[in-house]
Amino acid sequence: MDQLFDVSLFNSMLRIVTPILLAALGGAICARVGLFNVGLEGLVLVGAFSAILGNHLLGNVWLAILFAIVCVMLFSLIFAYISINLRANVIVVGISMNFLAAGLTTFCLRAIFDVKGAYYDKNMMGLPKWDIPVIKDIPVLGGIVSGHSPLVYLAFFAAILMQIYLFKTVSGFRLRAAGENPVAAQSLGIPVRRIQYGAVLMSGVLCGLAGAQLSLGQVTMFTEGMTAGRGFIALVATMLGQSNPIGVVASSLLFGFMDAFSIRLQGFALPAQFTQMLPYIVTLVAMFFFKDRSYLKDAQRANGSSR
Amino acid sequence: MTLLLEMKNITKKYGDFTANHNINFDVRKGEIHALVGENGAGKTTLMRMLYGMEEPTSGSIMINGKEVHFHDPSEAIRQGIGMVHQHFMLFPSFTLAENIVIGGEPKRSGLFDRKAAADKVNELGQMYGMPVDPWRKAGDCPLGVQQRTEILKVLYQGADVIILDEPTGVLTPSEVKELLQSIKRLAAQGKSFILITHKLHEVMEAADRITVLRDGVITGHMESNTTDEEQISRLMVGRDLIPMSRVANEPGASVMHVQNVTLAGAKGAKPLLDNVTLTVRQGEIVGIAGISGNGQSELLQVISGLVQPDSGIVELNGKDVTGDSVRAIREQGMAHIPEDRYMWGASREATVLDNGLMGHQHQYKKGGLIQSHKLRKVVSGWVERFAIKTGSLDTQAQFLSGGNLQKLIAAREFAQNKPFLIAAEPTRGVDVGAMETIHGELLAKCKAGDGILLVSSELTEILKLSDRVLVMYEGAIAGELSAAEATEEQISLLMAGGKRQL
Amino acid sequence: MTRLKRNLFALLQPIIAVIIGLLAGAIAIVLLGDSVIDTYAEMWNGAFGSFYFLTNTLTRATPIILTGLGVALAFRAGFFNMGSTGQMVLGGLAAAITALYLPGPGWMVLVVSLVVGMAIGGLWSLFAGYMDAKFGINLLISTLLLNYIASLFAGYMVAFPLKDQSGSAAMAQTPMIDKSIWLPKLFSGMSLHAGFILAIVAAIALYIFIQKSVSGYEIRMLGNNPFFAAYGGVKRGRMMVVAMLTSGALAGLAGAGEVLGTQHRYLDGALASADYGWSGIMATLLASSNPLGTAVAGILLAALQTGAMGVERNTNVPLEVASVIQAVLTLFVSARFGYAFLKRRKEKK
Repeated sequence: MDQLFDVSLFNSMLRIVTPILLAALGGAICARVGLFNVGLEGLVLVGAFSAILGNHLLGNVWLAILFAIVCVMLFSLIFAYISINLRANVIVVGISMNFLAAGLTTFCLRAIFDVKGAYYDKNMMGLPKWDIPVIKDIPVLGGIVSGHSPLVYLAFFAAILMQIYLFKTVSGFRLRAAGENPVAAQSLGIPVRRIQYGAVLMSGVLCGLAGAQLSLGQVTMFTEGMTAGRGFIALVATMLGQSNPIGVVASSLLFGFMDAFSIRLQGFALPAQFTQMLPYIVTLVAMFFFKDRSYLKDAQRANGSSR
Repeated sequence: MTLLLEMKNITKKYGDFTANHNINFDVRKGEIHALVGENGAGKTTLMRMLYGMEEPTSGSIMINGKEVHFHDPSEAIRQGIGMVHQHFMLFPSFTLAENIVIGGEPKRSGLFDRKAAADKVNELGQMYGMPVDPWRKAGDCPLGVQQRTEILKVLYQGADVIILDEPTGVLTPSEVKELLQSIKRLAAQGKSFILITHKLHEVMEAADRITVLRDGVITGHMESNTTDEEQISRLMVGRDLIPMSRVANEPGASVMHVQNVTLAGAKGAKPLLDNVTLTVRQGEIVGIAGISGNGQSELLQVISGLVQPDSGIVELNGKDVTGDSVRAIREQGMAHIPEDRYMWGASREATVLDNGLMGHQHQYKKGGLIQSHKLRKVVSGWVERFAIKTGSLDTQAQFLSGGNLQKLIAAREFAQNKPFLIAAEPTRGVDVGAMETIHGELLAKCKAGDGILLVSSELTEILKLSDRVLVMYEGAIAGELSAAEATEEQISLLMAGGKRQL
Repeated sequence: MTRLKRNLFALLQPIIAVIIGLLAGAIAIVLLGDSVIDTYAEMWNGAFGSFYFLTNTLTRATPIILTGLGVALAFRAGFFNMGSTGQMVLGGLAAAITALYLPGPGWMVLVVSLVVGMAIGGLWSLFAGYMDAKFGINLLISTLLLNYIASLFAGYMVAFPLKDQSGSAAMAQTPMIDKSIWLPKLFSGMSLHAGFILAIVAAIALYIFIQKSVSGYEIRMLGNNPFFAAYGGVKRGRMMVVAMLTSGALAGLAGAGEVLGTQHRYLDGALASADYGWSGIMATLLASSNPLGTAVAGILLAALQTGAMGVERNTNVPLEVASVIQAVLTLFVSARFGYAFLKRRKEKK
C-alpha cells in the first residue's frame, strides 16, 4: 500500500460509510417527525451487540441480522415511549439511551460471554461478500462497488426507498406534515403519535442494520463502545443532509471517505492518534457550513405567545 | 331560508367556571352570521364545540335537523363544518396545493399525484373567485394569501359552514376588503359563514345577522340592518363607552428620539422599518396605532436594543444609544412592558420573586449577591398595590393567570422609575379592574414628567391615553394626529394606508 | 412549593432514582441466578463497609462531583456541554506536564498545576462555546466530538514526546510526579486526598453562586427563557463565556485532581475509561442541575461503582451490574422530566 488514493480506498469507504449512512437515515426519519434522536449511538451499539449475540445463539448470520433488528426495535420503543408519551426532553432521553446501551452491552458481554472488553469467535460466520455479476468486471468501478456485504447495498437502496417514500407517497407526505406542524396535522385527523412511533421503530430497524454491519461486516467481533462516536457523526450527517435521504447519502459519503482515508494515512508514518482524529475534525469543519439556531426555536416553542 | 345548523341550549363548564350558558345559535344556508363579543366572552369556546375540539357539557347540536356529536375535528369536517383558525394551521414548507389537499390527496398508481392536486386547486380558485398559485410555498406567501389558502382548504374538504375566527387581525386593509368581498360572493353561492370578530365596522359591512355574547351569555341577537355599531358595542360591553378627555401636560425635553431608522427585511421584501422618525418628550404619552405586523414590534426591538438598525439613530435622554446593549439602554433610562408576556416578559419556571428581579437586577447587587430581603419587600409591595393574585412570592409564574402575570410585569417596569417607558399591549388579556389600574399608573407616570411610548392594537386604549397618535403602516409612520384631531375614522384611514384628511 | 420544600425534593430525587436503579439491578442479578440480598450486601460493604472502602468511594466521587458541578452550571445556563471527558483529560495532562517540568517549591508547583489544569479545561470548553456563538456549530455535538479529539491528542502526547522511558516501556504514561507535588492525603494509608475537599467546597460555592448571586440569576434566567433574559439585559455572550469557562475549569480540576492526588502521573486512557465525565453528567441529571444535589448524586454513583467492585470480588455477579443500574437510573431521570410535566398539565386543567 504505497499509494494514497486507489481503488481499495474507495472500496473501504463504501464499507465504512454503511453504518453511518444507515444510522443517519434513522436520524433523518426521526427528525422528519420532529424528534431529534441523539440516541443513535446507543441504538447502533445495541445493534452491534445483538448481532453478535444472535449469531452466537442462532448460528446463522441472516437470523442474526433479524435478531439485531428486533432487539434494537424493542430498545427504541423505550425512547419512543418516554419522548412521545411522557413528553420528556428529547435530548436528555437520547443521552440516557446511550448510557443505557453502553451499560447493558457491557453487562451482557460479561454476563453472557464472560469476557471483558471484546468478544471474538473465529468460528462465527460473518457477512458474506457479494460479487455482483457484470459490474465486478468493470475496471475501477467494479473494484469499488462489487464485493461488499449485502448490508452495504441495502443501505443505499434504503436511502432511495426513503426518498421515494417521503416525497412521492401520500403516507410520507403526511409523515412530514406530522413533523412540521403536529398541531395542524392532528387537527386534520393525521395520527401524529402513531406516526412518531413508526418513525422511531424505523430508525430502530436502520440502526440495527448499522450495528450488524459494524460487528459482522469485516471482522466478526464486538468491542465495548465500538461505535466510537459514529452515532454522533451520523447525526451530523443527518443535519448536513437536511434530513433529506439523498442529501444524507452525500454527507455520509463525505464522512465515510474521511474515516477510510484516515485509516489509509496510518500506513504513512503519521501517528495513529492523529489519523484517528481526522473524522472528528472533518465533522466539526463540516458543521461550520450550517448554522444551528435550534436553541432559539426550542425556546420559542417552550415560551410561546400569550394568546 | 333553511336552518343548516342549530346549537340548542349549549352550556360549557370547565370545573366551576361557566364559559357558555344556555346558548342558542343557528345558521341559515347562504348567510353570514357574525358572533361578536369582547375577549373572554365565550365566542371561541362556542365554536370549538361546533368544530369538534371540545364537547358541550349540556345541550345539542343539529345539522339539517339531525342531532350530531363530534368527538374530534375530522368528524366535524365530515359533516361539512370547516374552521379557519386565528393562527393559521398551514405547513410553511409545503406548497399551497399540498396544504389545500392534505387529508384528501389525489393519487395515481399509489403515489401522490401533485399535478392533479394543482389542477384541482386552480379549479376551486376559479369557481370561488379566490385564485392562488398552487406551486408556491406557503411560507413565502403574504398572510392574505395564506388565509385564502385556509379557506380553500375547508372548501376542498366540502365545508358548507365556514367558521372564521378573528380573520382580519393580521391583514392589511386592502386584504380585509378582499376577504369580505370573497365571503359575500361565497355566501351568494350558498356557503354559510360564522364570523367571529370584535371589529364592528366589518360586522356592519358584511354580516346578515349578529349575535352578541357577553360573559358566556347571549345579550343580543338581531338582523344587521336593524342595528348600528353603538348598539352592538353597548351590548358587548354592558355599558356606554365614555369618550375620554384627558388633561394634557406641557411636554418637556425629548426623552427618546429615533431618527431615520431603517431595518431591512428579507431579501427582496419590503423593509421592516422604513425611515422612521419620532420623538417622545417628557410628560407625554405617544400612542402608536396600527394593525400589528406593520413594524411596531421591530421598532420597539430597535429602541430597546434587542435589534440593531441598519441605519439611523436612537437617542435616549439626550445620549446616542444606537447599537448599545440592552443593559446599557435600560440603565440609561428605559423600562419596557413587552407585548408578549410569556415569550419576552417572564420565565414560566421561575418564581414571582425571580421574575420581579429582571431588568433591574444590578440595582439589587451587593458584593455580587442579590439583596433578597430588599427584593422581597419591594415585590410584596407590588403584589399588594396591584392586587396580584398569587400563592406566595415563591410560586412559579406559570401558575399565575395571564392577567396577574401582566400586572406583575407592569408593576416591575413602573417601579424602575425610568424617564422613558415602552408600554406594548399593556392590558392585553387583563380584566377591566386591572386595566383601570394600569391605565391609572400610566397617566400618573406621565403626569410626573416621564415619557411613555404606547403601542396597542386597542384603539380605545390609544385614544384614551395618548397625547399624540402615530399610525404605522408597512414599516413607516403613515401620519400623526394630535389628541384633538384623533378620531377613529382618521386613524382607520391612516391604518388603511390612506392619506390624512385635513 | 416553598423554597425549602423544593430544595429537599431536589436532594431526595437522586435517592429515589437510585432505588429504582437498584430494582433494575435486582432483576439483572436474578436473571443471572444469584441472590439479590447477598449481592447488595456485598455492594454496600464494597462502598461503605469499612473506613477504607468509604474513603475509596469518596476518592472516586471526587472527579465525578467536580465534572458534575461543571455540567450543572452549563446546563443551568441552557448549554448542553457534553465535553467533560475531553476537558478533564486535557486538564489532567496539562497538570501532569506542569508538575513534571515546572521548577519551584512543591506546594507552589502543586497549586500552579491545579490552576493550569483548570485553565486548559476551561479553554477547551470555551472553544466549543465560541464555535457555537460565532459559527452556530451545535454545542452538544461539537463537545462530544472534541472529547474524542482531546483523548486522542493526549494519547499521542503520552505515547511519544512525554513517554516515561524508564521501567517497562509498555505503558503509555508520563513519568511519576515528584512526591512533593502530590495532593496531600486526608488520612494516612487511605486513598482520599485533598481533592475531595475541593469538590465539596466547589459544590457549596457553586450553589451560592447560582442561587444567590446576580450573575447566577442571569444564568438561570438565560437557561429558562433566552428571550426573557435578552429583554432584561442579560448578555448571552458573556454568560456563555462564564458558564463554559467555569464548566470546563471544573472538569479540568477533576482531571488535575486525579493526576495529582490519585495516579500521580498521566496514564493514557485512565481518565476516560473510568467514565468519570459521563458519571458526572449522570449526577447532574439526577439532581436536576442543583449543585448540592449533584454532590450527593456523585457520591451515590461512586458508591455504586465501588460497591460493584466489591460485588465482583466476592460474588459471581460482574461489576458491570453497576452500569446497568446507573443507566436505568438515568433513564428514570429523563422520564421524570416528562412525568413532572404531565403532573403540571393535570394540575392546570
